[in-house]
Amino acid sequence: MNAIEIVNLSKNYGKIRALNNLSLDVPEGTIYGLVGPNGSGKTTLIKALVGSLRPGSGYARVLGLDPLKDKWELRKQIGYMPQSPALYDDLSARNNILFFGKAQNVPDLQNKVDEILSFVELTARADDTVRTFSGGMKKRVSLCCALIHNPKIIFLDEPTAAVDPHLKMQSWLLFQKLAQSGVTIFVSTHQMDEAMLCDKVTILRNGEILAVDTPQNILLRGKTSLKIVVDGDERNTVIDSTPKNLADELKRYGLDKGISAVELKSDNIEDIILSIVLEREKEENS
Amino acid sequence: MRHTFIIARRVLLQLKGDTRFLALSVIGPLIIIYFLKLLFTTFPPYVDVKSFTIPISAFIVHFLSFILCAILLVQERTRGTLERMMIGGFSKTSIIGGYTLGYFSLATVQAISVLGESIWLFGLSYDTRTVVLLFIVIWLLAIVSVMLGIFISTFARQEAQVLPFIPLIILPSVFLTGLIIKTDGLPVWAQIIGKCLPLHYAVNIINVIIKPEYRITETLVDFGILAGYLFGLLVLASLSLKETE
Repeated sequence: MNAIEIVNLSKNYGKIRALNNLSLDVPEGTIYGLVGPNGSGKTTLIKALVGSLRPGSGYARVLGLDPLKDKWELRKQIGYMPQSPALYDDLSARNNILFFGKAQNVPDLQNKVDEILSFVELTARADDTVRTFSGGMKKRVSLCCALIHNPKIIFLDEPTAAVDPHLKMQSWLLFQKLAQSGVTIFVSTHQMDEAMLCDKVTILRNGEILAVDTPQNILLRGKTSLKIVVDGDERNTVIDSTPKNLADELKRYGLDKGISAVELKSDNIEDIILSIVLEREKEENS
Repeated sequence: MRHTFIIARRVLLQLKGDTRFLALSVIGPLIIIYFLKLLFTTFPPYVDVKSFTIPISAFIVHFLSFILCAILLVQERTRGTLERMMIGGFSKTSIIGGYTLGYFSLATVQAISVLGESIWLFGLSYDTRTVVLLFIVIWLLAIVSVMLGIFISTFARQEAQVLPFIPLIILPSVFLTGLIIKTDGLPVWAQIIGKCLPLHYAVNIINVIIKPEYRITETLVDFGILAGYLFGLLVLASLSLKETE
């Protein structure tokens, strides 16, 4: 079953088209990544799904509910972590989490707050005001506020920006654990290594979908540069990054006919996503 | 209703944690009233400065409550906490109710301290009934100012955008509501503008009840209008606070 269904969703800000006829389905229990450059429509799409933005046309269903008409029913079941920390600087980390937890009537709230603070390694600073926290620490508190009521879907807008690598990996392990328990994670990110951790990725540009695929299949869209030196003669070639192509290319030379060196350079996910975006730009300009 | 109390508690916790804000909203008016005392001592003896004291004290509370509340709510919007509250399950009415309830205590402290200082510093002698009524007027005006601040905040996307509302709302209150001069001599259109401002009705009530002899019935209409402002602004603020972009 799909946790999110988006059909022909569009949104304009004056003359700027923020979302352009977007359609996609997000299966339940998956980690779904939104990748794209700044201004590609990632935040706008998330805001439309959590019901804080009215689309111009098209519609979306989250857990089968309309984000605007069924907002009260939906808001009990979703967690939202915006791009900015969106916390009360004058309150402690604990009081910020308690505030959002109370809104959702979370049972055994105090213990849950202790648990989640311990997970994000902020127990020692739990009663300090958020004003004294670094950007990464604020992100962690913000994540706690989004998770405190055990939502069925979590919308995360660049959740690990400014978070240190150790905690970033911890957060992703938590996302994977949550997804295994049936929670759907809808996450926007700039960081391509994070895209690799998603079950499926949508690449956005100017509010349009450029590609929807698994990170593994997106990797196969990349190219591999080969430098083969045969009897001192250097030959360079570029092939599609599939294991079969690579094997065929090597067979062309014969594996035992004087090859003295082979150098491979395959596109990483960042190169591939960038090339998909650039290709579309080239198409539009030509 | 539960959500309203949760927000009110959070507002109180924030006020407690923000000493600068507390100082500005409680000690600030007291300092300004002291400056007023210094100014009034330079006036010639035939000027009845005592009749201006309480209306000006009420104006100071009105101005500070309005501007501080408007700025705080705009901050909620710019920091993203307003959007987060709404997505987190709080309704518009619980947000407005929570804010108003949260500021009830601040308005009470402001009204008591401003009134107390004014009476003490200017040597005013009023009977208990008058003091209680003066407190109610200033307190009611402070709550109306909070509601006005919430309403105005919906038109501002940044803190600085609140500032243009000072010449639009606050300065006309100084000149057109009877705070400094009686409004009878003003052109009719200026009198109409003055009557649209809540301070006009608070000043009317104060001017009646600081007289040596008065009947409470003389103030009922103005009290009613001031209370009407409270509910009117509550409705306007609920309508103008947007849940979606």
